[in-house]
Amino acid sequence: MSPFRYLFVKEFKQFVSNPFMPFVLIVLPLLLMLLVPLLATMEVRNVRLAVVDRDHSSMSARLTDMISGSGYFILDSYPSTYAEAMDGLSHGNVDIIFEIPEGLERAVGRGETAEVFIAANAVNSTKGSIGGGYLASIVSDFSAEVSSSSGAQSVPLVISPQYRYNPHLEYRLFMVPALMLVSIILIGGFFATLSIVSEKETGSIEQINVSPVRRRDFILSKVVFYGLLGIFAFTLSFLIAHFVYGLASNGGLLEIYVGAVIFLAFMAGFGLMVSNYSETMLQSVFIMLFFVLIFMLMSGIFTPVSSMETWSQYVTYLLPTRYFANILRSVCLKGSNFSDLAFDFIMLSVFAVVINIFAVLTYRKRS
Amino acid sequence: MDSIVIDSLRKSFHEDLPPAVDMRSVITIPKGELFGIIGPDGAGKTTLFRMLATLIRPDSGTASVEGLDIVRDYRKIRTMIGYMPGKFSLYSDLSVRENLEFFASVFGKDIEANYSLIENIYCRLRPFEKRKAGRLSGGMKQKLALCCSLIHSPSVLFLDEPTTGVDPSSRRELWENLGELRTSGMTIVVSTAYMDEAGRCDRVAMMKSGRFLAVDSPADIISGFGARLLAVRSDEMFRLLHDLRSLPFVRKCYTFGDMHHVILNDDADLSAQAGYGSDAAAIASILENRGHSGVVVKDVEASLEDCYMNLEEK
Repeated sequence: MSPFRYLFVKEFKQFVSNPFMPFVLIVLPLLLMLLVPLLATMEVRNVRLAVVDRDHSSMSARLTDMISGSGYFILDSYPSTYAEAMDGLSHGNVDIIFEIPEGLERAVGRGETAEVFIAANAVNSTKGSIGGGYLASIVSDFSAEVSSSSGAQSVPLVISPQYRYNPHLEYRLFMVPALMLVSIILIGGFFATLSIVSEKETGSIEQINVSPVRRRDFILSKVVFYGLLGIFAFTLSFLIAHFVYGLASNGGLLEIYVGAVIFLAFMAGFGLMVSNYSETMLQSVFIMLFFVLIFMLMSGIFTPVSSMETWSQYVTYLLPTRYFANILRSVCLKGSNFSDLAFDFIMLSVFAVVINIFAVLTYRKRS
Repeated sequence: MDSIVIDSLRKSFHEDLPPAVDMRSVITIPKGELFGIIGPDGAGKTTLFRMLATLIRPDSGTASVEGLDIVRDYRKIRTMIGYMPGKFSLYSDLSVRENLEFFASVFGKDIEANYSLIENIYCRLRPFEKRKAGRLSGGMKQKLALCCSLIHSPSVLFLDEPTTGVDPSSRRELWENLGELRTSGMTIVVSTAYMDEAGRCDRVAMMKSGRFLAVDSPADIISGFGARLLAVRSDEMFRLLHDLRSLPFVRKCYTFGDMHHVILNDDADLSAQAGYGSDAAAIASILENRGHSGVVVKDVEASLEDCYMNLEEK
């Protein structure tokens, strides 16, 4: 039997000997993919709205109905003055104030421009800005409707944005590829590192070290075994993404899996480097956690890179997660192919090669 | 032929600390010898083992195992030695059988090929073949570890405190196994904290502060003790220890079983001074003057442990 084969068999036996690890392998991607998108959504609902209707006309009533019918707002107060509404806002009972000026219907009837007023509480900036945005788009829909029904001479300029690739701007579609990436980081990266460090901790690596087994075979058996587990977890996540969230690969399965394998190679090399520097599982977990958090928070998985500070935008080029996240999103949402993503694939490969060279260099065979 | 040659081997882990191993002479261990190393914790036993097992590199000096240099030919050495570390280091999540199979395949062997070598040890483990190694008793773990380090039929076996934490009957069994292995011509180097075990070795090295203080057969070490030794007891053993240590002609006094052993200074001549028949009678009378009752003082032959205690003093 070749060394790689019996070492691989040993990894497998160890893995299944404790039911906890297979349990984690299945449950972690399941929970991650099923639970997190429901909780972590950027969609804003239940915005509490106060409408100050000073026009009291049929048109203002129609506008109010349209807003409450949108489903995003809770219309529970109709203060008569702006000051009263502001009072509610400052007490935190109201998120957005919408003021309809006196004489709206008349002005519109005469073909003049009328202005409405929106004041949003931006303490919760997401709720404030996105809620305000929703409101503005409802108002512009309304004005388009009014002008078309009245057959007005001056057709107002209507901006109609078209959201390509994610037409309903669903945050989940943005989020789900990121979660697939998280599951591959956790299973493919953490497991291999922990397994090497645990052999250090229990001392079994001593027995390996005094045997003729080559270090290369020993490491390779772990990297390949846990790499396969990473691919398994990734596939599981992908199936959930497809059947639960309707994320389609848009034909780019090969691109996705080539990307996943290169990324796993990076994570494996990274994990090896961590295991070279740590003596105990606790140490390695903390080192991994630190870097994984940076990988996840700074590489545009959850928040867009373009909204970061300029200097940190440059930093993201040093984080391989950025490239893999981009590959995943572009393929899943846009159906991009290898030639579209050449830069990302090249950068990812460079990272994988460099980190593995470092991992080999930092490994000291004998002290 | 010499199986192991150690020549002024030196290893230091930290600049500010004295070296862990600092051999200053040449020690040779012939083929087929059962060589014991005894010494206090921190004497450098494990470091020496790890250097000979090619796990760590010496700072200076050389050593060879079966004629192969431990630095240059470490790859070859690894195929022909068995090393059993002091700490249990098999895979506790694999079963007894799986561990054995794994370590056999690591050396490119199968269990059947060398089964005769481990038969006497493994027969005790057979009923537990399916059990996880981590769930074995301490003695069973050591037996399994010994089997795993023997399964490739090594020519040299390094055992680092194999009987620490093992019950007396398992200890005896293990030493009987070692005795059988020696007859097959295997060189065995074993460190131990138990003096009775050291007495079973062909030769014993007493190690302290990283070097061997004495290397000889147990009998020669005992006959070279060269100091007068008395065993003393009274009804108040604890006060007795203090009283004995306060006497000017006592070089060393320590508890030994239910007696205290007293090593006298070489120039002490109590019998002539005080007019007693012997040193023993002189000490008995001194102790009775200090209020001890039930005093027994007698001359005893030195044991290996006495040699060890005497050596530590220097």
